[in-house]
Amino acid sequence: MEKDTPFSHTESLALIQSMINRATNRFNEDGSMYLLWGWVVLLCSLAEFILLRVHYEKHYLVWTITWAVVIYQIFFLRRKRRNQVVRTYTDDIVKYVWITFVIMMFLAGVLIGAIQGMDYYKLIDPLFLVIYGMPTFLSGIILRFKPLMWGGIGCWLLSVLCTVIPVEFHLLLVSAAMIIAWIIPGYLLRLKFKQSNP
Amino acid sequence: MEFKDLDPILHSQLRLAVVSLLISVKESEFTFIKEKTNATAGNLSVQINKLKEAGYIEVIKQFKDNYPQTICKITPVGVAAFEQYVKDLQSYLGVQK
Repeated sequence: MEKDTPFSHTESLALIQSMINRATNRFNEDGSMYLLWGWVVLLCSLAEFILLRVHYEKHYLVWTITWAVVIYQIFFLRRKRRNQVVRTYTDDIVKYVWITFVIMMFLAGVLIGAIQGMDYYKLIDPLFLVIYGMPTFLSGIILRFKPLMWGGIGCWLLSVLCTVIPVEFHLLLVSAAMIIAWIIPGYLLRLKFKQSNP
Repeated sequence: MEFKDLDPILHSQLRLAVVSLLISVKESEFTFIKEKTNATAGNLSVQINKLKEAGYIEVIKQFKDNYPQTICKITPVGVAAFEQYVKDLQSYLGVQK
């Protein structure tokens, strides 16, 4: 594409099509955040489940590790953004879906704590499962990546299971949700990313 | 049917390539455009400047890790011009059938 030579209308249309394809056929998602959070929440939920079984009073303390992960994530995403040579609309929409998720998680946590008080544990896992499903399912739709869509639907099905499973086992449903919604799709995303960016 | 003249700013291979690329992304670095269009830096700079002068694209120059970085974005004027160009092209090709 060196010289500014005249070209036909058909060539012009073909050029537009090829450039749009080159810009949009990029696959930017390497699944690292799904894997990081999937493993962290899986391990925390399993650890809390075990601590509750052995009647350890401060079982909830395991979740403080998530603050360290949040700090790591802020630095990681900043570095990733700096190295990005192009920003697509898809990147932006996915970003806002996850920001909405974080806000909803925070508000749901605050509201459950304020309204339910010491009975927070009855509602927290079923509601969090419902909320986990939203960004997972939407990201699957936006990225056109079925494992994430199924992961989102899986979270919702697990939330319904909370109605028939005793409350002390709800944490295990959260662990299962992490495997089907973030960990498995995360590894599949990483595979797809490596294939499309050799 | 009378043919409209195609927008001379867009009816140039490299400029059309740049605008087609920018229409599908939110913003892009100069290096990404250079890589996707296979153009030389010099020629690309000249064409990007012409698009900028026409108000079709916005060029942001900044520093990233002490190196200059050029980011390009399409403007609403550029989007409208591109849509009109495609419409004109379609009406021309429609008659050709």
